[in-house]
Amino acid sequence: MGTEAEHTRKIDFKETTDYFKHLSLFWTDMAYLITSKPSALTSAGPMRKLTSQTKKLASEMIEANEDLMEFNTRLTEYYKQLADTWSEAQKRFNSKVPEIPNDVEHIESSKRVWIDIFENAFTQLFDSENFGENFGKLISSELELSKHWNNMLAVLLESANIPTKSDLNEVYKELHSLRKRVSKLEKYEKKIGTEHNGK
Amino acid sequence: MENELRIDPALVEEFLKFNKNLIEAPKMVPAIDEINLEMTPYDVAYSEDKMRLLHFNSSIQKQNRIPVIIVYALINRYHILDIHPQKSWIKNLLNQGFDVYLIDWGSPTNIDKYVGFDDYVNGYIDNCVDFVCDETDVEKVTLQGYCTGGTLATVYSALYPNKVKNLIATAPVIDGKKDTTVVGNLAKHMDVDNMVETIGNMPPEFMYYVFSILKPFEQGVEKYIHFFKNIHDKSYVDNFLRVEKWLNDTPSIPGELFRQWIKDVYQDNLLIQDKMYVGGKLVSLKNITMPIFIQVAVGDHLVSPECSMPLYYAVGSEDKTLRIYPTGHVGMIASSFSQKKVLTELGQWLSERSK
Repeated sequence: MGTEAEHTRKIDFKETTDYFKHLSLFWTDMAYLITSKPSALTSAGPMRKLTSQTKKLASEMIEANEDLMEFNTRLTEYYKQLADTWSEAQKRFNSKVPEIPNDVEHIESSKRVWIDIFENAFTQLFDSENFGENFGKLISSELELSKHWNNMLAVLLESANIPTKSDLNEVYKELHSLRKRVSKLEKYEKKIGTEHNGK
Repeated sequence: MENELRIDPALVEEFLKFNKNLIEAPKMVPAIDEINLEMTPYDVAYSEDKMRLLHFNSSIQKQNRIPVIIVYALINRYHILDIHPQKSWIKNLLNQGFDVYLIDWGSPTNIDKYVGFDDYVNGYIDNCVDFVCDETDVEKVTLQGYCTGGTLATVYSALYPNKVKNLIATAPVIDGKKDTTVVGNLAKHMDVDNMVETIGNMPPEFMYYVFSILKPFEQGVEKYIHFFKNIHDKSYVDNFLRVEKWLNDTPSIPGELFRQWIKDVYQDNLLIQDKMYVGGKLVSLKNITMPIFIQVAVGDHLVSPECSMPLYYAVGSEDKTLRIYPTGHVGMIASSFSQKKVLTELGQWLSERSK
């Protein structure tokens, strides 16, 4: 039953965000159409570029909000897993060491027991399929949020004629391929030189 | 009076002593930044992009003709192999009369995000091997790889068997499916394409997180309590801080290299099945026919023995040795035990095959 309710809530949430997305796109498009003519006069400046892409910022924000929901779900599950493991390990420790000792030797040995029990419990958790799966999804949702942030930054950078991340990636890629070609040519030149010297 | 709380005076004394150590620590112990990890002197024999080939200086007469090239791992820097005069892997090999080179990968930055497995194996390692062969007038070298460097050295030896006289694989990552560590579990569930596409290189912060959950209580809590308890022990403190500095010096891993690493070695497990391609060349472990020495540690929590040992059965070598040591991933290379046992056995095996 809980799953069905959750499912319905997710659909409601999606419908609401889709509505706001549409609303925002509609008005930013309208605003652009109405104001684009006078602002074209300043086409060399940053404002025209920025206004023409404002809708991108709005839709990125709305989509980021959707991904934030997934991120929160995964993060809650992550902390739940940690909290459950902690309380289970603490229970195990309490049953082994029911009274807190008050001399150095016993405190030292109960500390050892505590560390062993907790270490085992948490290693078991981190090794588990459940943890791995949730952690993988948590990281993916975090990456989605990073993507939205990158896209929003790109809008601002483009408006100021500053290279964006994808521009830089293009340069890095080209540089990498050039480095490779130079290295191959150097190897070839060395080989020819060696053969020429009869080495 | 029956409910009176009785506390052992020794406990109070212990508590006060610990607090005194906490206060005194800054006066007695150098800051991590003030520690210099460079130990054994070396020359940079060759460099390419951020990679450097270090050639270690030695006053000992070389007794073995074949030089050793150590392919260091992709995680952290090479300093762990030369961490302390009494625990230095490099110094020990030099003292046994070997000529030692080491590949230091440096610290990749965003500009290196397209550097991949192909560049590391067919580029950097191959160029280093050619350089050393030219310099020392030999046709083949001994290649030793540690951890992920063990995998790179293994892949190289499979692709260029005619350039490798001996292969030493120390805790190599080989059979990703059999890896039982937390690292293996996280790697299997990672959307690596998304990660590389979004953030480029594998960031150090993510690796710190992965390391922090390997032994969270022993490594995250107990070891620091132990440190403050022992701040008067100069040798212990020196060793502790050197290892801590090494642990915190984690460079990024180039995006493309990381992508192929996670997919081919951990997720699709192609390496052990002889299905992995590097720079368009198929890597077949059967091509490894040179003498091979594999070292694994029973208590390894980064690369489990089950992940390394299949290499022994997969290679085509007739002269092969597998050694299993009762220690951990770092203990195998930087401890009194490694000096007494691991390096003694390795030196003996290697010198018989390095004339």
